[in-house]
Amino acid sequence: MTLEVTLGEPARATTVPPDLRTHLTDPSTRAALMIRQSVLTAVRRLLDAEGFVEIQAPIIGPVTDPGVRGAKQMDVDFYGHRYKLMTSAILYKQATLLAFDKIYYIAPNVRMEPLETFGTDRHLVEFHQIDVEMAGASRDDVTALCERLVVAATREVLQHRPAQLGVTGRDLDALRRLGQEPFGRMTHAAAVAELAGMSQQADAHAEIDWSNEEMLSLEAPRPFFLTDYPKGSRGFYDRESRSDPGTLRNFDLIAAEGFGELCSGGERESDYRRIMSRIRETGENPAKYGWYLELAREGLHPSAGFGLGLERLVRYIAGLDAVWQASAYPKLAGVRSA
Amino acid sequence: MTSSSPNILRAEGFPAEEIRRRARLGARAVFPDASGYGADVFGEVPTGNRPDALDRLRILPPLFTPRRLEKLIELGREPMPADVDLRTDIGGLPSAFPLYLSALGSTKVASTRLGAAAARQAAQLGIPMVIGENIAPVNGYRGDDDSGGSMRRRISAYTGHLNGDLGGVLVQQSTEDADAEVWNQIYSDPETGPILMSGRLGFELKLGQGAKPGLGGMTLVDRDVAEAMAGRYAFDPAFDDGPQRLRCSAPGTFDEEILRQQIRLMRNNFPRARVGVKLFPGRDVATACAVAWEAGADSVTVDGAEGGSGWAPTVMMRSAGLPLADCLARISPAGQCLCVSGRMWEGARAVRCLALGARAVGLGRAALIAVDEDPDAGLIRLVSALTFEMRLLISALGKYAARDLASEDVGGDLVPEPGYPVGR
Repeated sequence: MTLEVTLGEPARATTVPPDLRTHLTDPSTRAALMIRQSVLTAVRRLLDAEGFVEIQAPIIGPVTDPGVRGAKQMDVDFYGHRYKLMTSAILYKQATLLAFDKIYYIAPNVRMEPLETFGTDRHLVEFHQIDVEMAGASRDDVTALCERLVVAATREVLQHRPAQLGVTGRDLDALRRLGQEPFGRMTHAAAVAELAGMSQQADAHAEIDWSNEEMLSLEAPRPFFLTDYPKGSRGFYDRESRSDPGTLRNFDLIAAEGFGELCSGGERESDYRRIMSRIRETGENPAKYGWYLELAREGLHPSAGFGLGLERLVRYIAGLDAVWQASAYPKLAGVRSA
Repeated sequence: MTSSSPNILRAEGFPAEEIRRRARLGARAVFPDASGYGADVFGEVPTGNRPDALDRLRILPPLFTPRRLEKLIELGREPMPADVDLRTDIGGLPSAFPLYLSALGSTKVASTRLGAAAARQAAQLGIPMVIGENIAPVNGYRGDDDSGGSMRRRISAYTGHLNGDLGGVLVQQSTEDADAEVWNQIYSDPETGPILMSGRLGFELKLGQGAKPGLGGMTLVDRDVAEAMAGRYAFDPAFDDGPQRLRCSAPGTFDEEILRQQIRLMRNNFPRARVGVKLFPGRDVATACAVAWEAGADSVTVDGAEGGSGWAPTVMMRSAGLPLADCLARISPAGQCLCVSGRMWEGARAVRCLALGARAVGLGRAALIAVDEDPDAGLIRLVSALTFEMRLLISALGKYAARDLASEDVGGDLVPEPGYPVGR
């Protein structure tokens, strides 16, 4: 693999992927991929038991999720029209609730991440999400489900992949404690204040940046939900609070031990008029969201859901240094690879 | 100094001949023809174009100059015009002068060699460059031809001639151009990595155009280009009986909350990039400036109704929008970075704008004329004349830094409007 770019500052990544043969024959890759399989087994078992219908996610469409920090969408020539590879299938998830009340995808996503993500140890250009959506659900409903999923996946791996956890060198005590206490909660505003207390700069109107998020993650005794992000930090589909305008009814799940964000989700805007205003607030051109806006005008179900990063969850459970180690064919920003 | 260029560029109502003279002669052109020195007598120089309210403002040097005394003490000698410090910071981009190269649009004259020549010279001068919002959608992002028209070629022409730590590139995007994801593309492009990492890349959210306030962009495009754009842009049938079609952009829908949130999202999504906002000269321009600065914009640029190198219906150019003087009268930057453009080409207009609150002024049409006159150094010489005049005027005002200019420095026969800052 060739690093094509000069980043202008030392890359912080602890490791970079080797060539594909070395990667695929590395015992720790094999262990990570088997842990990944167990995670998927546990996720599917739990969601199926709770009445969710698994749908195969779309791969291309005229539009995709625009709410992705700094990343470029990848264009596809669709018979002379510009289509996109899915950065996430959020808009399709909302649409699919017209068929079923509870759905999920194990969805492949592609994001041309900015080069600065190369050194975060937790960004991949090609990755998968456990993408869940529930009609009529609240944020509390889906954070509870997300927590059940993470705990179930962890227990599955502890039970069936102890040897592989040995290979990846996971601290098993920390894993075994997971689920003994409920995950924590912290609002975005409280996180900004806590960071200020640690003499870190954090913008009250923006995402928590990656280094600050890692710091919060290192401080946390257990995973926690970071809630109520400011409006200017997320896509138009996250629902704005009616009682606290300017904040969103959304969340990220932040793992402990410095592993950082695993999941983003929230309640969704479903009202056509509000969606249209929010589209403008996020600088989007409504014209390209034709099919989605038509559905919204005729009525979408209120819903909530999330996208739980599969490789990030595997990295966390397996205790890997970098998220690419949880992928068979890792692709990092700016790196040409198999 | 002769030029090999064919001088194809026309700019009606603009003092093109005077600009071309400066592009040839540089600072020497600030003076009357030296061949008449000692023999001719000189009065007020006719500029050949009708002065607007801003040009009618007089620059008012004082007799008593406490700041000159400070400078004298600092230097240990009498200060001279060359001691005037013109360096500044334009929305976070360090600049050798309070000048920037305005967006030259996707029109044919700017898309060919002139755009690249202007970019190269702006870099050499150490002043920031703004790239028009529809360059990428119209001319492509990468582009394989040698015309210099594509977005990347325009950026490369600039970054290939960077002057030390100075300058920077500000890339515009407006409502429909968001489809092309210009900002995301640049932000993840290895080629722009060095200017991004050195803090010299910015993105400018564009709300309309100076030459056609309240309307979106309009360009005539060849039929094959129009076909490629079908579905992404609207076309008006006005020109359909000719070889080209009229592409019309929507102006975009804004209210205060939409503007505020778009700026916050830019800061959120592109944390390493500077954030600018470009406003057309609307009647609520002061409110829009305040919202933009409050939301965290590093700079706000106002294109006076006199501005714009783009193609616009004459009724809009004649009748719509606030003149720059009125914009400056309404806006209170209060330490924030305000950039203005509109008929800029010489030092006095620039000094007046700075005195009325602007941090920097943009060269648009004048830059195009200058590089049309001499593609190698026309803009460099024009700026040399302009900055020479600025230094003369600022030192005459008893000041030695462009940022010290204030409303006390201008006055005269402009009829003050309520709240006008002149003479405070």
